[in-house]
Amino acid sequence: MQGNHPIGDSRRAKAVRRAAAPLAVTVAAALMLAACGGAKKQSGDAQGDGGTLVVDTSFSLKTADPGRTFEPTGILVTRPVYDTLLTFAGGDVTKPVPLLAASYEAAPDAKTFTFPLRPEAKFSDGTPVTAKDVVFSFNRVKNLKGNPAFLLDGVTASAKDEHTVVLTTEAADPALPFRIATPALGVVNSKTVAAHGGTDAPGADQGDKAEQFLNSDSQGSGPYRITKYDVSSEVILTRNDNYWGAKPKYAKVVVRNVPANTQQLNVLSGESQISLDMSPDQAVKVKGQAQVLQQPTPTTAFLFSNDNPATSPTTSNKDFQEAVRYGLDYKSLLDVAGAGSAQAAGIVPSFFTGALDPAKAVQRDVPRAKAALARAGLNNPSVDLYYASDVTINGINFGDLGARVQANLKEVGITINLKPAPTQTALDSYRNGSEAMGLWWWQADYPDASDYLAFTPGELVALRAGWKADANAEVSGLAQRAKVATSDAERVQLYKQLQEAMNKTGPFMPLLQPAQVIAANNTVKNLHYNPIWYIDVDKLG
Amino acid sequence: MNATRLFLGDRLGADRTGTDDPAPRRKRRPGKSPWRSPLAITGIVIIGVFLIAAVFASVISPEDPLAQKWPKYQSPSGEHWFGTDQLGRDILSRVIHGTRISLPLALLLVVLAMVIGTVLGAVAGYFGGWIDMVVMRCADLVLAFPAIILAMAVVAALGPNLTNAVLAVVIVSWPTYARVVRGLVLTLRQSDFVQADRLLGASGWRVLAVDLRPNLAGPVAVLAALDLGNAVLLLSGLSFLGLGAQPPAAEWGAMVNAGSANFDAWWVAVFPGAAILLSVLAFNFLGDTLRDALDPRTARAIRK
Repeated sequence: MQGNHPIGDSRRAKAVRRAAAPLAVTVAAALMLAACGGAKKQSGDAQGDGGTLVVDTSFSLKTADPGRTFEPTGILVTRPVYDTLLTFAGGDVTKPVPLLAASYEAAPDAKTFTFPLRPEAKFSDGTPVTAKDVVFSFNRVKNLKGNPAFLLDGVTASAKDEHTVVLTTEAADPALPFRIATPALGVVNSKTVAAHGGTDAPGADQGDKAEQFLNSDSQGSGPYRITKYDVSSEVILTRNDNYWGAKPKYAKVVVRNVPANTQQLNVLSGESQISLDMSPDQAVKVKGQAQVLQQPTPTTAFLFSNDNPATSPTTSNKDFQEAVRYGLDYKSLLDVAGAGSAQAAGIVPSFFTGALDPAKAVQRDVPRAKAALARAGLNNPSVDLYYASDVTINGINFGDLGARVQANLKEVGITINLKPAPTQTALDSYRNGSEAMGLWWWQADYPDASDYLAFTPGELVALRAGWKADANAEVSGLAQRAKVATSDAERVQLYKQLQEAMNKTGPFMPLLQPAQVIAANNTVKNLHYNPIWYIDVDKLG
Repeated sequence: MNATRLFLGDRLGADRTGTDDPAPRRKRRPGKSPWRSPLAITGIVIIGVFLIAAVFASVISPEDPLAQKWPKYQSPSGEHWFGTDQLGRDILSRVIHGTRISLPLALLLVVLAMVIGTVLGAVAGYFGGWIDMVVMRCADLVLAFPAIILAMAVVAALGPNLTNAVLAVVIVSWPTYARVVRGLVLTLRQSDFVQADRLLGASGWRVLAVDLRPNLAGPVAVLAALDLGNAVLLLSGLSFLGLGAQPPAAEWGAMVNAGSANFDAWWVAVFPGAAILLSVLAFNFLGDTLRDALDPRTARAIRK
């Protein structure tokens, strides 16, 4: 190790390292420029009449064509632009109320629904809304075969006369009015959309060319029009002067794509009026200086213990499932999710019709869990828990939630090995039903308990947890009856029974509903939270 | 054939270096050992503290690093010196246990990269021809990407966990060693003592193992020491991105990431971040000192 060496060559390594520094500086400078550019946007007080409302959200946006959109930001911006037949008033999603329809009537067999339209309703270009437009819009959604198409499965729309729409369904469909209130079923101006390449004929998924047009120039009958659409930075809504109903206060609404950390600063500085994506932990600092709404979302985070012995002989053991169910400390999981979250008593979110009474929720019972584990006859079971590691749902990192589940179950003698994977990979194993245990979430497609029949034996989500069609006759029977029950009281009763039965023997453990935080400047009035489209921008004063 | 190669090597070597003197004599200023400099001492002390922490982690740390017993986001206090994190775990204990992941893995991967890089570089430099071509083009290929980007790609392909992260960092680090060693071997292989050994009938492998190895050891050691800091940084960088250590492991990079979700709880990210900073700094001090000790020529150039 005596040194006979010219070492000049080692500088090469340094040159490489140094070359990286200017690059980093350039990137940082570019980012700062971008940030400053963003900061110069209109700060929204009294400019012109009504002024501008700036809403910050981190975008999940693909299109502004209502027939194709099913992403949260897409729903937020199309809701005030495309009126639907029915809607929900304020934050109450238990009862659809008329919007474009003057009223609605369901036949006792829940197979025919009649919607007389408001004669005064007209589109942003001044043409009246007719039954023809509604039929065109509904057929277009179906034939585009996009994400919202399932809302109209088995539904046929027809125009009884110029101002009456009739929807008929193949089977009894008591949940239809709830689905009709979804913003994707907003009514478009059939004449202009058809003129710009839109079609409602079968094959529209290939033949419809109206998406570009609808992105640049909206064709709805709502209180706002889309006047600027940039899928990555901002969407601008401008007041529709032809609106048939009460005019909204703000002349302009700017919805900007802003990361959650920046939203907190923006609301505090008055840079924006409303933030939609803060986590409950961030909201703590905003309280007192801004109004903060913190409520559970219609998303259910759940754990499953695969019911298929071929996937895992351990997790399919009913006693093991009971041990997991009573070994989880649900209150401590809420601590991870933050203030405003709520324990999910059943799989159906708390504010939907048919939700289980919070008092019926499973409570932790360590002795019972240990006894069940002893009955299972498993010696120190060790199980893999799969989850998507790169998503954060309302501020909840699933890695943190998994680590808490792991700590909970360790106390009753179950060893959990965390198996994180990027969402795409994790979704594959989830959908294949090959995960022994999984930590996942289900976001309501529409606010009705029937959306959760997917969790009953043999259905979509149940199969992912290895719960086969013939696995549980009691639950399957209740599900069948709940699906077709037409009277409200009967439906509520059946869905409650169904969830209680699932909480006894099913492979699913509903954990919690995360908290939605909506923070707004004190200048914003009439703020309320809607579980589907977050806020009613047209109702803000 | 051997003769031709030797002859060719001779000429190339002469052209490139312009000198055939393999042994610049070491001279040290009397009484000024580089190990006595304040930087060296700082580095040694910090690394020493970290090593002790790593060995005795379970004795020193006040709590179980995985216990979720306390309220979340407690600011630093007498009870929790570094506060608690998003799951109510004691951050001090986690930072201490973090040394058990970062330091051994950084050492391991630097040794791996060093061995692989040195062997490939020496073989490429000594035998030349197509071996040289293949090895050095591979090295160029790796060096053409920013290290962290390539490491991310490797981990993404293999699946995110610590083992793969170490593998990825090894894959992006070996070319540095290969290039340096190849350069050294190119200039050394026509020096008199190598020629003499070859004339005595030594094989290429013997020359590499017996004649050249001692001459390569010094510069490679310096390079490795300087690379340790990089290794810690890359490894925690990968964990920060969710590609290295997975929860609930107490790894510094992953802890910084957890802290970035909530800036108001600054202590969640700051303490593990400071641990990364200190270890990288200390390794760099050590590397510099080692270079001063083993390579007075560059050291003198720097002092001027």
